[in-house]
Amino acid sequence: MDKVIKLTKIFLKNSFSNMDARMGISTKSKSKIIVYGLLFLYFAGLIIFLGYNLLDGLIAIHQETIFVGMILFMIFGLGIIQTIFSSINILYFTKDSEYLLPLPLKPYQIILARTNVMLIAEYVIIFLIGFIPLVMYGILTGAGIVYYLTMILAVILVPILPVLLISMLVMFIMSFAKLTKNRNRFQLFATLLVLAIIIALSISTSGMKQDLTNEEMAQMVVQANGMIELVKGYVPTVDYLMEALTTNSLFTAIVEVLKTLGITIVGFILYMLIAQKIYFKGLVGNLFGGGASNTNKEINQKEYRNSKLYKSYVGKEFKNMARNPVFLMQCLIPAVLIPIIMVVVVYAGLNSDGMGLEQITQMVQQTPTNTFFIACIILGVIQFFTMFIYISITAISRDGENAVFMKYIPVSLYKQYLYKIIPNIIMNIVTIIITLGMAEYLLNLPVITLIELFIVATIMGILQSIAMIIVDLKRPKLNWDSEYAVAKQNLNLVFPVLLSIVNIVILVGFVYLLKDINVYVGVGILGILYIVATVITNKYLYNKQYELADKII
Amino acid sequence: MIEIKNVSKSYVKGKKSVDDLNLEIKNGEIFGFLGPNGAGKTTTIRMITGILNMDEGDILIDGKSIKKEPLAAKKNFGFVPDSPDMFLKLKGIEYLMFMADVYDVPQNKRKEKIEELTKKFEIYNQLNNQIQSYSHGMRQKIVICGALLSEPKNWILDEPMTGLDPKSSYDLKEMMREHAKSGKTVFFSTHILEVAEKLCDRVGIINKGKLVFVGTFEEMKQKFKENASLEDLFLEITEK
Ligand SMILES: Nc1ncnc2c1ncn2[C@@H]1O[C@H](COP(=O)(O)OP(=O)(O)OP(=O)(O)O)[C@@H](O)[C@H]1O
Ligand SMILES: [Mg+2]
Repeated sequence: MDKVIKLTKIFLKNSFSNMDARMGISTKSKSKIIVYGLLFLYFAGLIIFLGYNLLDGLIAIHQETIFVGMILFMIFGLGIIQTIFSSINILYFTKDSEYLLPLPLKPYQIILARTNVMLIAEYVIIFLIGFIPLVMYGILTGAGIVYYLTMILAVILVPILPVLLISMLVMFIMSFAKLTKNRNRFQLFATLLVLAIIIALSISTSGMKQDLTNEEMAQMVVQANGMIELVKGYVPTVDYLMEALTTNSLFTAIVEVLKTLGITIVGFILYMLIAQKIYFKGLVGNLFGGGASNTNKEINQKEYRNSKLYKSYVGKEFKNMARNPVFLMQCLIPAVLIPIIMVVVVYAGLNSDGMGLEQITQMVQQTPTNTFFIACIILGVIQFFTMFIYISITAISRDGENAVFMKYIPVSLYKQYLYKIIPNIIMNIVTIIITLGMAEYLLNLPVITLIELFIVATIMGILQSIAMIIVDLKRPKLNWDSEYAVAKQNLNLVFPVLLSIVNIVILVGFVYLLKDINVYVGVGILGILYIVATVITNKYLYNKQYELADKII
Repeated sequence: MIEIKNVSKSYVKGKKSVDDLNLEIKNGEIFGFLGPNGAGKTTTIRMITGILNMDEGDILIDGKSIKKEPLAAKKNFGFVPDSPDMFLKLKGIEYLMFMADVYDVPQNKRKEKIEELTKKFEIYNQLNNQIQSYSHGMRQKIVICGALLSEPKNWILDEPMTGLDPKSSYDLKEMMREHAKSGKTVFFSTHILEVAEKLCDRVGIINKGKLVFVGTFEEMKQKFKENASLEDLFLEITEK
C-alpha cells in the first residue's frame, strides 16, 4: 500500500510540475497559488449563487429532494465525462510508463496509483459542484448530523464507479492497440470515437431539454422527477444514496449507505481483476507499438521539392498537431466543432420555445439587422468561440524539450514566432467564416457589413495569436510527461479566455457609448482600435524577441 | 573556426557552471571536449550554439559573434544536441526536407545529399516512417543527417556516439576525419576516452566549469603519469 501511495504522489507531481524546477528556481510560487485560489473562489461563488436560487425555488414548492438527486447525478455524470477525457492520457499516453515498467512494482500497484490520480482530479471538481451544494441543502433544510455524515460518504462514493467503468472501457478499447500496426492512426481513431460519443450525447440531451421546457415549472419538476426515477434504475448507488440523504430514519440511512458501499467494493474488485488482465497488454502495445510502418521504401521524387521556409515551417506545425491526438482535440478541432455544436444547441433551443426558424426570419424581416448593435453581438459571439483555440498559447510549450531547436537554427526568432502563430490565425478565420455564415443565414446582412466584420474579427484573431504566444514565451511549460499537461492541465489556458472576456467587455462598452452610430463607421472605429492594439503588441514581440526566448533552455 | 573568449555562465547565482573558459578550435581540427558528468560540457555547447546566453565573454564562429550577429553565426555550424528525440511526429524525409529548407540547401543538391548521408547510415529505407518509430540510435543518426545536410563548416556535436552501433560510430568518425581534412572544424563532447585518443587532434578537459587541460592526447599522457591507463589518467586530472 505504501508503494501505491508513493506512486500516486509521483504521478500527481509529474503531471503538475513545470519548468520551474528545471530552471533551478524553487518557486513554491505564491502567484500560482493565488491564481488557483481566485479561480476556485470564483467558481465556488458562482455555484453557491446558482445553487441557492434553484434550491430556494424548489423549497418553495416543497420539491427540494429533487435537488439531492440532481446533484448526485451531476457527480456521476461528471465522473463519466471527466474520465473520458483524462483516462486515455493518464493511463496510456504518459511518458513515465516507459520508466515504470522495468521497476519491481506489482501490476496492481501501478493500476491503483493511476486510478487514484484520476479519482483525485475528480474529487477536486466534485468538492465544488457536489459538496458545496449538498452542504447548502443541509443548511437550508435544517438537516441533522446524520445527513452531513451520509453526505460526505456520498460525495466520496459516487464518483468511484463511473471512473472505474470508463477506465475499464478505455482499457478494453486500448487492449486492441497492440493488434494494430499503425498506432498513430489508432490513437486518432480512438480519440475521434470518444469525440463522436460526446457530440451524440450533447445533441441528444439538447433534444431532451426541448421536451422539458415546453411545460410549466411544476410540470418540469414532475418531469425532472420522472427522469431521475427513470435513470435511477440504471445507477443503483445514486438511488440508494438519494434515499439515505432524504430519509428521516437513521436505520434506513445506514442500510442504504452499506448497500452503496457493497456495490462499490464489488465494482472495485471486478475492476482490479479485469484491469490486471488487460491494462498492460494495451500499455505495452501502445508504448512500443510499431509506429507508422510504411512499407514503401522508395522515396517519392515529389518529396525532394524545394519549398519556401514559411510553408514548410507552418506545415511542420500543422503536422505536429494533426498527428497528435491530444493536440488535435485541443488545438484544431475546437475551431470547427464549437460553432457547430452551438448551432445545434441553439437550433434545438429555438424549436423548443415554440419559436421556429420561420418566426425568427420573420422577426428579422421586420426589425433592422444591419446595426452596430447586431454587429457587436456577432463579434462577441466570435470571441466566445475563438477563446477555445489553444494553438498560440501552446505554440512553444507543445515542442517540449525540443523547443531549443528554435534557438540554434539560423532563422530569426521573430519570424519563427510568426510561423508558429499562423495556424492559430487560420483556425480563427475558419471559426469566423462559420460564424458569419450562420449570421448571414439568420440575419441577411449586406455584403459590406460581412466583409467589414470579417476583417475586424480577423484582426482580433491576429491580436489574440500574438498576445498568446507572448504569454507562452513568458510562462512556457517545456518538460511535460504527456501532451495532456500542455493542452489541458496548463494554467496558461485561462489567458485566451481572459482576453476574450476583455474583448467582449470592450464591445459592450462600445455598444453602450455609440448606440446609434452607423454600422460601417462603428465597426470601422473598432477596426482601427484593434489595428493599433495589434501593431503595438507585434512591436513588442519584435523588439523583445531575444529576451522572450530566455526561458527556452 | 570556433573562438571561445573568457566565457562564464551560472544558472544559479554564485555557482558557476562554466568559469572563464578560453578555447580556440582551429580550422582542420577535430577537438574533443572531455569531462565528468555535470562538468559543463553541454552548457558550453549551449552557449556556442546560442541556446543559452553567456554571462561574460564572447564566442565567435568563423569570426561571427553568436552574441552580436546570431543569424550569421548560426549559418556557420551544424549542431547535434545530446537528446535526439526531436520532431517525433514527422517522417524522416519530412524532417530532412524541413532542415533543408531551414538551411537553404539548393534544390539540385538535396536528393544527392540525403541519399548519400542516409544510405551511409543505413536509414534510407526508414525515411518514409515517422521518427517516433525509430530506435534511439536511428534517431541519433537522422539528427546527424539533418545537421550535416547543409555541409556546414563547423560541426558541433554533443555526445554524438551514444547509442550508435560500432559500424555507425566508425562511419561517423570517418566522416569527421574527412571533414577536418578538408580544412573544416569538428567540436564534440564525449565520455569515451578511446574515441578521444584515436580521433582527436586535440582535447580539452573541463571539470566543475573550469578548463583543466588543453592539448594533444600525447601531451596529456606526458604531463600526467607516463604509463597510466586512460581511466587512471582521467580520474587523476579531474579529481584534483
Ligand atoms: N537548466 C539548468 N538549470 C540549472 N542548472 C543546470 C541546468 N543545466 C545544467 N545545470 C548545471 O550545470 C552544470 C553543468 O551541466 P552540464 O549539463 O553542462 O554538464 P555536462 O558536462 O554536459 O554533463 P554530462 O556529461 O552529464 O552531459 C551542472 O552542475 C548542472 O547541475
Ligand atoms: Mg551533457
